[in-house]
Amino acid sequence: MKKMLAVLAVSVLGLTACGETSNTAVPAVPGESKTAAADVLANAPVAEAAAILPGSTMEKIKKRGELLVGGSLDAPLLSQQNPATGQVEGFDADLGKALAKYILGEPKVKIVNSASETREALLSNGTVDVVFQTYTITEERARQVAFAGPYYTSGLTIAVKKGTSGITKPEDLNGKKVLAGANTPAIPAIKKLAPQAEIITFGSDPECVQALKQDRGVAYVQDETLLIADAKKDPSIEIVTKPFTVDPYGIGLKHGDDQMKKFVNDWLGKIQGNGVWQGIWKNSIGTVVTGDAPQPPKIGSVPGS
Amino acid sequence: MSVILDHLPELWQGLVVTLQLTAASFLGAAVLGVVVTALRVSPVRVLRAIGTAYVETFQNLPLLVLLVLAVFGLPEIGIQADLLVTAIVVIAVYEAAYIGEALRSGVNAVSKGQGEAARAIGLTFTQSLRHVILPQALRTVVQPLGNIFIALTMNTALAGAVGVIDLTAAANRVNLVEAQPIPIFVGAGLAYALLAACAGFVTGRLEKRLVVLR
Repeated sequence: MKKMLAVLAVSVLGLTACGETSNTAVPAVPGESKTAAADVLANAPVAEAAAILPGSTMEKIKKRGELLVGGSLDAPLLSQQNPATGQVEGFDADLGKALAKYILGEPKVKIVNSASETREALLSNGTVDVVFQTYTITEERARQVAFAGPYYTSGLTIAVKKGTSGITKPEDLNGKKVLAGANTPAIPAIKKLAPQAEIITFGSDPECVQALKQDRGVAYVQDETLLIADAKKDPSIEIVTKPFTVDPYGIGLKHGDDQMKKFVNDWLGKIQGNGVWQGIWKNSIGTVVTGDAPQPPKIGSVPGS
Repeated sequence: MSVILDHLPELWQGLVVTLQLTAASFLGAAVLGVVVTALRVSPVRVLRAIGTAYVETFQNLPLLVLLVLAVFGLPEIGIQADLLVTAIVVIAVYEAAYIGEALRSGVNAVSKGQGEAARAIGLTFTQSLRHVILPQALRTVVQPLGNIFIALTMNTALAGAVGVIDLTAAANRVNLVEAQPIPIFVGAGLAYALLAACAGFVTGRLEKRLVVLR
């Protein structure tokens, strides 16, 4: 009986532990250590009082004094918690802070760790105000949430262990074992372009790289930005294709909230116009991708946005 | 509801993998569990210590940690197997600790006189376990074993984290495309509940049939 209780307790503990990790709210007070990020944010615009319509979501956020952002804590360059400072840094994270500054006058955000299986629910029940999480705009998703943006366009590419031959395009993956991050757009993309490929998924990017090096699969399909960062860190892997998909990332909002959508789109237009968007890019993705910030995608240019 | 019907082939494939994981790892855990029990009740001190160490090790480590260690750690020292096989072995080894403990409680429930009588008629330790103690012990632990079976079924979902596409991982993938987590995960949950209900039903029947009235 005692052991059974132990079994029960262990399983219950396991459950609660899982629940906690996906909902832990991490306060991200910016501007303490990363001076470059702070400099860029200092230039970020603040909305005029007239733009905060009475009764709107923006007013609600302003009254609360904090923007609730659904995001990741483990996406390098995009939204990753720095273990040394506890801050969440990256392209998505900094854009969240800039939006918070636009509404509140100060970059006060609380990042709620969300996952691709919880984002729609978190938005619709109001747990988070916005989602910045490499949230690719699709028409299926646009039926559940509203998308502002797109604010960035990325694409999937293929990495292999150095010295692997015979993989130069996505179709070459047919009949091979291919690694991908669980819950990433890579899975449907591989299914479409190489239907005979066997897709093996792992939860995080480091796990996928490790699996690639241990020959669990011959190729690893992931967002180009992440793969560039991986290949920089680890010389034993190399990227073999140009991006073969176009993934427009949108800012997830509550479905049907047109006021907020227009407000966020206006903000996006402003920060792209005055160089803040480019500055944030330079501080995050720009640290591994050489050259100037790319041309931001046209707002509202994607079906679903 | 239509999301589930549209993706029935993928979800079904996931369910098949979950069933494979459950059946194979329970079988492995049962065999190992008997060995662990034999060690824990053995008259030799060293063997008892080995049994105790086994149980304490695997009961005190989370299954997910063991899975990640086996999948990513073992290849570093040259041991690498198929992901499904790795997951089955790890779950079997882990659950064997629990089965071993459940069986031991059954062994303790068999009155001392039975073991003494077995030895008095000249049976060796193994013979007395096999012919006298275990048959009685097993009958008393049918229900706890059923519970362990259910727990094991649920635990197989963790294999999804190390690249095995079980029911949970399959549901995750479907949701990635459809963005309708509630029907998809409720559907997957019902499948798990059904498996657990079947296990509960079978153990209930088994217990009634096997009970020894004294």
